[in-house]
Amino acid sequence: MHRAIATLLLVAAPLSAAAQGVLRGTVRSTQGDLLVGASIAIPGTTLSTRTDRQGMYRILLVPAGSVRVHAGAIGHAFVDTTVALTGGDSTTLDFTLRPEPLALPPVDVVSDRVPHFGERPATTVAQVSERDISRRAVTTVDEAIDHVAGVQFVNGQVNLRGSTGYVQGLNSRVLMTVDGVPMNQGDRGGINWDLLSVDDIESVEILKGAGSSLYGSAAFGGVVNVTTRDIPTGLHTRVRLTGGMYADPPHEIWKFRDTPGLLGSGDFAASYGTDTWGGRISAGDRHSDGYREQDQDDHLHFAGKARWQPSVNTRVDVSGAWAVDRYDVPLTWCSRGNCDDRGQVFQPFMIDTIDRGARTDSRKGYVAAQVRTTVSPQFAWSARASWLRTHFVDVRYPTSEFGVGDRFGAEGRIEAHPAPTRTVIVGVEATYSDVTSDIFGIHSQSEFAAYGQSEQQVSAVRVSGGARVDFLAVDGGSLTAVVSPRVAATLNGKGAGTWRASVGRGFRSPTMAERFVSTTALGFRVIPNPTLRPETGWSFEIGHTSAPIFRFMRLDAAVFWTEARDLIEPQLLRFPPDTTLPIDSVKIQLQNVVRARIAGIDASVIAAPIPDRLIATLGYTFLDTRRRLAGDTTEGPLAFRPRHLVTLGADYSIGAGSVGADFRYVSRPESVELEGFVDSRRVAVKVLDLRAEWRRGPVELRVLAANVLNYIYNLVPETLAPVRTITVTAVWSH
Amino acid sequence: MRKAWLVIVVLAACGRGLEPEPICAPSLVGLCGTVHFSGTIPDSTDNVFVAAYVTFPQTCNDLIQNRRPVIPGSVPYTDSIAAYSVELTPGAYHWVLAVWKKTGNLTLTAADTALLRVAGYYRDPADSTQVGMVTVPNGAAAGDIDFRVNFDSLRPATDFVTCTAQ
Repeated sequence: MHRAIATLLLVAAPLSAAAQGVLRGTVRSTQGDLLVGASIAIPGTTLSTRTDRQGMYRILLVPAGSVRVHAGAIGHAFVDTTVALTGGDSTTLDFTLRPEPLALPPVDVVSDRVPHFGERPATTVAQVSERDISRRAVTTVDEAIDHVAGVQFVNGQVNLRGSTGYVQGLNSRVLMTVDGVPMNQGDRGGINWDLLSVDDIESVEILKGAGSSLYGSAAFGGVVNVTTRDIPTGLHTRVRLTGGMYADPPHEIWKFRDTPGLLGSGDFAASYGTDTWGGRISAGDRHSDGYREQDQDDHLHFAGKARWQPSVNTRVDVSGAWAVDRYDVPLTWCSRGNCDDRGQVFQPFMIDTIDRGARTDSRKGYVAAQVRTTVSPQFAWSARASWLRTHFVDVRYPTSEFGVGDRFGAEGRIEAHPAPTRTVIVGVEATYSDVTSDIFGIHSQSEFAAYGQSEQQVSAVRVSGGARVDFLAVDGGSLTAVVSPRVAATLNGKGAGTWRASVGRGFRSPTMAERFVSTTALGFRVIPNPTLRPETGWSFEIGHTSAPIFRFMRLDAAVFWTEARDLIEPQLLRFPPDTTLPIDSVKIQLQNVVRARIAGIDASVIAAPIPDRLIATLGYTFLDTRRRLAGDTTEGPLAFRPRHLVTLGADYSIGAGSVGADFRYVSRPESVELEGFVDSRRVAVKVLDLRAEWRRGPVELRVLAANVLNYIYNLVPETLAPVRTITVTAVWSH
Repeated sequence: MRKAWLVIVVLAACGRGLEPEPICAPSLVGLCGTVHFSGTIPDSTDNVFVAAYVTFPQTCNDLIQNRRPVIPGSVPYTDSIAAYSVELTPGAYHWVLAVWKKTGNLTLTAADTALLRVAGYYRDPADSTQVGMVTVPNGAAAGDIDFRVNFDSLRPATDFVTCTAQ
């Protein structure tokens, strides 16, 4: 124990100024272009940074002597070099990076909560860069990651490798963080994908696999980490305008309006920064007529971010956003006899007459503050506090519903590098959530957690192990403890690529909405279940990232397996259960009734057959799911989990222009919840998007034809997915 | 990768997604409509079908012998609602009903009534307590002939007709 404390004090002790220097320089491509957002790091230390809009970087507190420096950028080969640094001096080190379309992401910040530069994570991580987002011409975060292999959105709920399924608005088995700050709703646990504009986003990282050992509840199925744009020095502005049109239904008998539906949005952002402080504000407005009856949507958002560097080793970031939405709710499509059905069994573009006038007013916002102090190259601490508030009013017939939820979070974390080959991270986290609602009641939930993880590089193998213990209390009641351990390893086989393996325990505590919901859905009463227990599961993964094959192709593949217990799923019940009562007595309740298995293969290929011109990607996910009801030996597939997901993408660039296409195939889910009580119509998803882009100087023009074949499909029963939508986007940035 | 894009073309060409589903096909001569289901489906369920009678049957023998069609098709009953259509000759039908059948083989004799239950019948739109009459026009179909079937209140044939001992 004494030795451990002495080691901690040693690494925490700040170095004298004379023993430190400043490393600065620029990063360019071999064509001479300045690279923005390139990562520069001193491996094995707490020191790292990114290049600004001028391609410049600066790292303070660099220990004097011979220092290894790593530089990497998206789409470029990384460079490792060594530089001799004199204490108290400033040394210039410029980098030139070679374009390499098959290059792996230069930095991973999501898998271990500390940045890894040029190393493959032990659990599969997919990255969506700023370039990917702009190329796809999308407007929300969910649209930006919808094409990633193994990711599927079901009516706004994200599924990573089939983790969540679909329960409208009551939970998520995926945690979303914004710059590392958890952003799942306090009451329902869901994710507000439209809280941030894509203009505010620099990249998105998706951790596919249980992340509970570091992130706790809600990371049961994975983590989506959104990194917002940093604030560069100088004055910068950005304006984005988008206009578009929805296609009419492909069949005359489905037509429901005389003029086509339109959509449009405008976004503005401005930032100003110096070396010591900076600020950014952004605002946007969006309107959509919708692609079906009663589908109008109005959205307004504001966001801000500020950074302050009070000393050379401390940085403070404060950010916030506020969004107001008012959207019509199409609910379910019209079934025979419930609208002007024109002799059709169903009218997918129309709604039941009884649902007319249904709408939702939603307000949500967050404010977060983070401070990070780099005490020495071996030691850094950080702390954060955040508040997320959501407020919704569902205007429905015959009654309306409302809910106000808060999520207050605080966290302290220490990152230590007691040796160049070892990294230790420990932290404590506290979350308090409350809800006031006529369907969830008035409740609160507290979560306290402590976690730790250590990584050790042994030759070509990097081994990590850690655990997190969470204590949960509902309405001030007794504490429930959940322990989530995890061990992982990566083997860098150099020319043979990288192998990875991990095993960890994940969990998710029931949301207050799941415990206490009392409402009506699909004509059934939904009743509360305050005795719900946390769901848990063990996740295993073995994966491989190949070295370039035939110089133009790279493969990444993983086999994954999750064995879950106490999954929370909706069940149809009769009350009391031992009597035969009419259909009106059937109720829905969320219960811990399922043992489940989610296993499969997740593979992706990136190819650059014509360097600098053509990049193509292929992703495939195979899912095999089983669930077994308590007291029942029969097994069936989990609801809303398709067996096959295929994504294909290609981009061809010529000078200032490029064209691209994305195709997405999702097989028809074998099972849905409430099978037999809802319309069984569902088909496979086959959606083709086409896009084009042109850039010159500060101007970018993009055209996106989403679902260009106007393929008509649904992801959940009786709910039509988007039709062909053509948008034109113009961006001016300075 | 070129092969992958060929797969796109193949996948995109196969299947056209959701398509319009008319309750009554244009070529149908007979009845069509929807059946709304409720209640617990009995374990012994074999199928549910729609049948019509030119005149209201008086005996179990009428029930079996005068049924149109004689060999009925089944209606999907596991969802809460299902569309159906039945081919019939033009004319007036005084009793149109949905019939529940338990597992077992029909013999087209009065003994079949042991396997059958009246699950629901078409009612007079003006007076829902009365049986409704349906007229199948020449060369066309009578639409909107809808039923409500409650599996929890299936009724034996003897509630409607007189059956002598079999």
